Amino acid sequence: MNPKLTTPARGDSRPANAIFRRRPAATTLAMLAVVIALPLVVPSATLACEILIFAMAVLGCNLLLGYTGLLSFGQAIFFGSGAYVAALAMIHWQVGLFTALLLAAAAGGLLALLVGALAIRRTGIYFVMLTLALTQMAYFIAYTLSDWTGGDNGLLDVPRPPVAIGGFTLFDLESPLAFYGLVAVLFVFLYLGARRVIDSAFGSTLLAIRENEARAAAVGYDTRHFKILAFALSGAVTGLAGALYAMLLNFAPLSNIELPMSEQILIMTIIGGTGSLFGSLLGAGTIVILGDLLSALWPRWMLLLGVALIAVVMFMRGGLWGGLESLGRRRAGAARKTQEDA
Amino acid sequence: MLNVYLFQILNGLGLGMIYFLISVGLTLIFGLLNFVNFAHGAFFLLGSYLCYTTVTLTGNFWLSLLLAPLAVGLLAWLLERSLIRRIYHLPHTFQILVTLGIALIIQEVSIMLWGPVGKSVPTPELLRGIVRLGHFAYPQYRLFLIGFAALVAVALWLLLERTRFGALVRAGSESTETVSLLGTNIFRLFSITFALGVALAGLAGVLSAPLRGANPFLGPEILGVAFVVVVIGGMGSFGGALAAGLMVGVVQSLMASLWPQGSSLMIYAAMAVVILLRPYGLFGRA
Amino acid sequence: MTSPLLETRDLTLAYGAFHAVDGVGLCIQPGTIHSVIGPNGAGKTSLFHCLTGERRISGGQILFDGRDITRRPAHGRVALGMARSFQITSLFQNLSVRENLRLAAQGTAGWRALDFWRRLDSHRRHAATADEMLERLALTARAELPAGTLSHGQQRILEVGMAICARPRLLLLDEPTSGMGVDDIPTMTRLIAELGRDHTVLLIEHNMSIVMSISDTITVMNRGQILVEGTPQAVREDARVRTAYLGEAA
Repeated sequence: MNPKLTTPARGDSRPANAIFRRRPAATTLAMLAVVIALPLVVPSATLACEILIFAMAVLGCNLLLGYTGLLSFGQAIFFGSGAYVAALAMIHWQVGLFTALLLAAAAGGLLALLVGALAIRRTGIYFVMLTLALTQMAYFIAYTLSDWTGGDNGLLDVPRPPVAIGGFTLFDLESPLAFYGLVAVLFVFLYLGARRVIDSAFGSTLLAIRENEARAAAVGYDTRHFKILAFALSGAVTGLAGALYAMLLNFAPLSNIELPMSEQILIMTIIGGTGSLFGSLLGAGTIVILGDLLSALWPRWMLLLGVALIAVVMFMRGGLWGGLESLGRRRAGAARKTQEDA
Repeated sequence: MLNVYLFQILNGLGLGMIYFLISVGLTLIFGLLNFVNFAHGAFFLLGSYLCYTTVTLTGNFWLSLLLAPLAVGLLAWLLERSLIRRIYHLPHTFQILVTLGIALIIQEVSIMLWGPVGKSVPTPELLRGIVRLGHFAYPQYRLFLIGFAALVAVALWLLLERTRFGALVRAGSESTETVSLLGTNIFRLFSITFALGVALAGLAGVLSAPLRGANPFLGPEILGVAFVVVVIGGMGSFGGALAAGLMVGVVQSLMASLWPQGSSLMIYAAMAVVILLRPYGLFGRA
Repeated sequence: MTSPLLETRDLTLAYGAFHAVDGVGLCIQPGTIHSVIGPNGAGKTSLFHCLTGERRISGGQILFDGRDITRRPAHGRVALGMARSFQITSLFQNLSVRENLRLAAQGTAGWRALDFWRRLDSHRRHAATADEMLERLALTARAELPAGTLSHGQQRILEVGMAICARPRLLLLDEPTSGMGVDDIPTMTRLIAELGRDHTVLLIEHNMSIVMSISDTITVMNRGQILVEGTPQAVREDARVRTAYLGEAA
């Protein structure tokens, strides 16, 4: 074996403070404030929906990259298949909103279970390459099954069913703001759910695996089970996000399941801050808003993402969230100093 | 009927040689530097565009064959000295992210400079004809491509096997400490190898330009194929890159008329299977 | 005579023609401190890796408490009651000292550690074990610091402490004093001697004075094989050991 390949991650200075100085209550309140203010602040409710939908996908990605240390290019598989499954179930079986969303989450979770079970048989660069190969395969399969997926044209006329119980319509979701309401409620639940997962025995073990997998195995954890479960949870959340995205657009494009979608989700995760749930919201928000504002003025704005990606790895490993945290700490330090001086 | 297959196989060999040139750079960099370069496809793209510009300005393809790889190599050298060498010690995850950033920048800058629509590059005048082999006719440029790439492959092999530089690269792929002990400036060796590997991607871009033109979205596609070749051939293996490059080229070419998506599906499935069953590649050393 | 807690039969680990471990038959009696020593390259660490499950052995058998564990993976051996420390400190560097110990205690929870819904409070037992261990290791004052910020000696002690958190029946310690300063060694020696009262300990060690002072049984290895086995007294006086090992040191 090439010893270079098995060397554990060195110099990984992801924010230790995130683990020691967590203020979950404060960040949860901040999250709620953002979710409520979002449709008032951004130009349109549709854009607000898009932000929260991608923030969900980023939550899923963060569970793998931020908390388990797994760089997966497979997220597009879960996102895309969630979109397709929900859309097809609604079109062909006329299922309701919640059934469609559940099916999407189940499809994303099951596929992630499969992808995870295969990919974690290898580590390091070979793991990454496997997720990459599987995403490419999923893309070409979706392309080939054009009777189902619409191929290159995408799957058209995806409905957005109302919130209904037993055939009785409670809310119509046709207006963007009403749909935002649904997305926001789901996002808040997923965020709180993710918080619970991270604070559980399972979540604490994921951190241990990220920190030092050999040691985690040596103290008795079958690390494969943890990684596969992390994949399944991540896939379910991402599949749900994909379904909501299809409902938002009334359309499921082939690009949902393409490698660049994985890259986009990864970039949002990293720029927002790996290992921070609030960072997921920051990353998705920043990039979706930037894309919306800049793409009309300057179509090449993606260049900035490239620069930002390099900058985060080189100078600001904690991403935007890490930056905010250190800013907060510096201000707190300065405040203490003035108090002492006074 | 047989001629059709022969035609496709020859096409496949040409394509395969281009794949080889891209992948050998990638595999060389991985072998010596243990560095994963996700920007490799973008450098290929840059080679194609520089070829386009040179041909448009001077009308001389041959000049671009010399200048474009040199320019791409120079850019890589500068990048290595300023940025890449700072991340050798980081986990692969971070290397992937940084080079993904570089790839995004190169792609967007290319679109700024050359526009979002692909550019076509004319076949050099000298090679516009066809070669007749009995009943069989074949475009000259494609034959030239196979021959030229083969020459580059031989030169590269001689460089790796017969020179002090090559010996250092090979020794360094085994253990970088050995090379430092030999009193060689390991950083210079790294810079040169990185630039050489990337220049080869640029060269591949030039050679493919008259066939496929320069298109901003070729970068990611080519990167994917290069990874397939590198994985199937075994990461760090010169012979593996050649054999797997040709194999992938021929398979893609044969299937292109039947089921093009199927060929992509197949090569990525092959890549996944190889990683799962033979992670050191079909031709790599265990 | 009691039955051994750990037994190996004809244990072999081969790398091609080279036999790092060559037909070793080891018997570790419950309640003892059993040390394995030998010159560099004698195969101690390779033997250790076979016992922990880190290396798949080329031949022979490993029995734990009469049960064949030859094919059990490393994490599966922990569940049976074998815990190990690392020669090169291997901690969760960015996690707190308490969390390192708590995770080590939780490692024996098996499937229950996959519980991703209930808060950690519902697994309070592991936190209690961690707190107890912090006291015992005299690390309570540093409980909330990242493990990576401890001094080298404290990291070595935490390393051993993590192995104890699993409440194992057999503790496998790989050169616990490796790289430790002279000042810290007595603390470690005391800790291991104490451990010997509640646990069975297999110790791989370089430091002769520790081995001689606390071991019940010593196995001397040379070139992958067992050269001599016996009490510290017997080993010290054995002529073969002197030539193979002590002689070399002198």
